[in-house]
Amino acid sequence: MSAVIPYHRVNVLTGIKSARLIEDAQEYASLVQKARRPLLVLGPLLLKWSLDGKLLIEYALEIAKAANIPTCATAHVRAKMAELGVKPDSFYDVVEIINALKDPNWRGVKKEGNHDLVLFFGIRSDLGEQGLSVLKHFAPHLKTMTLCKFYYPHANYSLPNFRKDEQWKAFLESLIDNLKKGV
Amino acid sequence: MAEKKEITRKLEEIHEKIRAEIPWEPVGPTPMPEIPDLRQWDMRLLKTYAPFYAPFCDLCCFCTYGKCDLTETRRGACGIDIATQQARFVLLACLMGCSAHTAHAGHILEFLIERYGPDKKIDLGGSINIEAPHIRTVVGLKPETLGDLVIAIEYVFKEITHLLDSTAMGQEGSCLDYESKALHAGMLDHVGMEVADIAQIVGFNYPTSVADTPLIDLGWAAVDKSKPVILFVGHNPATSTVVIDYLRENNLYDQVEVCGVCCTALETSRYSAKAKVVGPFSRQLFFIRSGIADVIMTDEQCIRTDMPVEASKAGSALIATLDKAMYGLEDATEMDTEEIVKQMVEDKKHFAILDPRKAAEVAAKVAMEIAPQRRKEWLSEGEAKELASKCNVCGMCEQVCPNLFNIGAGIAEVAKGKFDLLREQFNLCVGCGKCEAECPRKIPIFKIMQVAASKESWKVRAGRGSIMDTEIRTVGAPITLGTIPGVVAIVGCSNFPDIRDIAEMVDEFAKRKYIVVVSGCSAMVAGMWKDADGKTVYEKYPPAFDMGGVVNVGSCVANAHITGAAIKIANIFAALPLRGNYEVMADYVLNRVGAVGVAWGAYSQKAASIATGCNRLGIPVILGPHSSKYRRLYLSRKEEDDWRVMDARKKEIVDTGEPSPEHLAYVCETKEKAMVMIPKLCIRKNDTPQGRAIKLNHYISLHKKYMGGGLPEDIYLFVRRDPDIPLVYKKEVRAYLQEIGWKPKEPVGLPTLIGTYPSKVPVDAVIH
Repeated sequence: MSAVIPYHRVNVLTGIKSARLIEDAQEYASLVQKARRPLLVLGPLLLKWSLDGKLLIEYALEIAKAANIPTCATAHVRAKMAELGVKPDSFYDVVEIINALKDPNWRGVKKEGNHDLVLFFGIRSDLGEQGLSVLKHFAPHLKTMTLCKFYYPHANYSLPNFRKDEQWKAFLESLIDNLKKGV
Repeated sequence: MAEKKEITRKLEEIHEKIRAEIPWEPVGPTPMPEIPDLRQWDMRLLKTYAPFYAPFCDLCCFCTYGKCDLTETRRGACGIDIATQQARFVLLACLMGCSAHTAHAGHILEFLIERYGPDKKIDLGGSINIEAPHIRTVVGLKPETLGDLVIAIEYVFKEITHLLDSTAMGQEGSCLDYESKALHAGMLDHVGMEVADIAQIVGFNYPTSVADTPLIDLGWAAVDKSKPVILFVGHNPATSTVVIDYLRENNLYDQVEVCGVCCTALETSRYSAKAKVVGPFSRQLFFIRSGIADVIMTDEQCIRTDMPVEASKAGSALIATLDKAMYGLEDATEMDTEEIVKQMVEDKKHFAILDPRKAAEVAAKVAMEIAPQRRKEWLSEGEAKELASKCNVCGMCEQVCPNLFNIGAGIAEVAKGKFDLLREQFNLCVGCGKCEAECPRKIPIFKIMQVAASKESWKVRAGRGSIMDTEIRTVGAPITLGTIPGVVAIVGCSNFPDIRDIAEMVDEFAKRKYIVVVSGCSAMVAGMWKDADGKTVYEKYPPAFDMGGVVNVGSCVANAHITGAAIKIANIFAALPLRGNYEVMADYVLNRVGAVGVAWGAYSQKAASIATGCNRLGIPVILGPHSSKYRRLYLSRKEEDDWRVMDARKKEIVDTGEPSPEHLAYVCETKEKAMVMIPKLCIRKNDTPQGRAIKLNHYISLHKKYMGGGLPEDIYLFVRRDPDIPLVYKKEVRAYLQEIGWKPKEPVGLPTLIGTYPSKVPVDAVIH
């Protein structure tokens, strides 16, 4: 299989260990549900991006609710969440949560132990890719997954570069449905 | 025994170089420190602020054993692991940066010593007695002449060689030791920068011992394109000052427009207030492609490497004036001046001319000859619309954009006669030109951007160099007690997520009575905004190094004056000796001087080096999102790390539990988050209750402003006793503290890290 080129060329992989590309929402849902202590990290692009007029933060919160995943609000995401009447489970900026996650003995945002699957959503792709690289190299105790519409080579599981937003929207909606169903 | 003899011999040599017998201060433990001399200090810092590595690449490709896969627990053929490989990269980046500044300093010194001789006195005016805080602290020398600066620069050159040596295959094998070396390189960089700027101030008669420097015209629209235009690009003013001399001597200065991009622009405006500052590095390509410059003169650092191609495309003449960037051009230094002019005008040839006087004469003559033949009009909206109509929104431009935005969408809007989106996007543009290079339809995106670029001009205050000793005497106490909430240094390059962030940050913190210091590209960008009354931050706030002041120190090399001010506080206000006494100075700054650097658009290795030098001196630095690509940060884990200090008065180790400052090198994704981190990183253990309450007031109010209300969750870590709580939030904070079971703790009388790790420095050395 030829290498997948990330949408933003700044993220082209120089290396050998790249993410497994998954397009099937059911498979994504299954991975999430198999995780014992998942975490959803929410980035500020969720406040800018929308699909058919619906802000991405709303999709993110539906995902969190459907699978009972604790959330971590980075940057100024918490301001919007406050408007929506939702309190995140934790507040760390992206480099801080990654710094904590790479410690296998960290107790996690629920103080129940470190997380075994971390979903990243809405972080600018170059910073996100660098953060995923930290975890790829220094956090073998956990897996990473991305929900943005680009391919992230440094993740364990990534979506493809969706050419059309409709494809991304369909994926997210299907993911939410599958998580709700408890696939 | 032999080893002891060698150490004694080395020390004697150092003492001779720094004239130790002149007792302006006793010589401290580390004059001219070598790699191991400050290692224990570094290791103490790295214990709390552990390196955080974000590898760009899974591999090492430095030697012929490779490429070596360093993923998981694999090591390279030489034995290196992924963390150590990142640290090696960081050291190399710092060395590149340090070398750039130090070589700049070396060139300027050589140029000025040739002109004035080595005995030219260093006199920075009546308000500056501590003329060179870094040289005094690190080297242990009180420089009195340009010749003395050579001693400092030769020390830096020697250390750079040793550090670079350690990066060769089969040398250093510890990431922490590489970090210690990177911190060493960063410290040396501040010495190199200080040498450069002192030499420039003395040799070019720049403003000094004055705060109220002239306001300089800023922006491409400030450039009078009806005249022949000479544009300087880079950092080194050796040639630009000679060009101005030439124009003055030949009564041409009124007929020729002189302007600059990047730091040479700032330098030139310190020499002549008539010179215009076009803007930061991110506007370099945009301005060059506008064709307004008749002659482009490059020197060194932050110049585009495709300059001959770009100059030819724009119909501008190009002269490379320094050996660091000669672009493969013919070296015309020895050629007849009239012949060079003829070939540049008639054959449109570009040349390297390394003799500043000759380069000046050629530039003036060529500019005056070719200017009348060249068209210099901004594109009209109609022309832009026509050019943009070829766009089929393929998205290739977005994929290559380092700032990750969709310029194609803006171009498509222009094709419909709508310009608002492109105007918005112009603020995000970092000016690389990759979009245009990638466009399959060859749409001249940068040209089209001319319709989006503001035609307004602004003001930037000319760089003033050192902070005055008299100012330090005024602010020393309120800074260390915390009643001036902090010194915010907004510095560095122009790889901004949004160019507008800088003026907004300057305005926010000046308004809140922080001392705001700016330099380099950030100093220019700070001026590219006006308030409702039409004032830039330079017109709105006083230029004093005092609460609510906005101070432009100058170009990149002037950053040494910012860190130098922190040293001066320890030396002048606290009366701690600085000579060869780096550890004590850094410890003082870390624990007592509430200063933070903000390099929001850092892109260069120079910025990496400057920031790392700040870190060794105990100054935390906040970086913009692009800076995750530097591969390394220094982060603490606030609730788990070691926050013990020695109370120097009681000689007791105290576990404060207070993460101040919380990080040393930190990346924020958004301006909003940075606005909250800045006041937090100004908190120091030495704050008085009144000072702490002021700092927490800003931390809480900015948190409320940008994070949607509520208190910062970690506020309990920074409240020692009830008087620390700001009055306006007393009720709310008390209720929160009660809810989480907070317990008061005693502030530390005289906090220091000395005494908490193995060091030759006695605890008493920090008592003043």
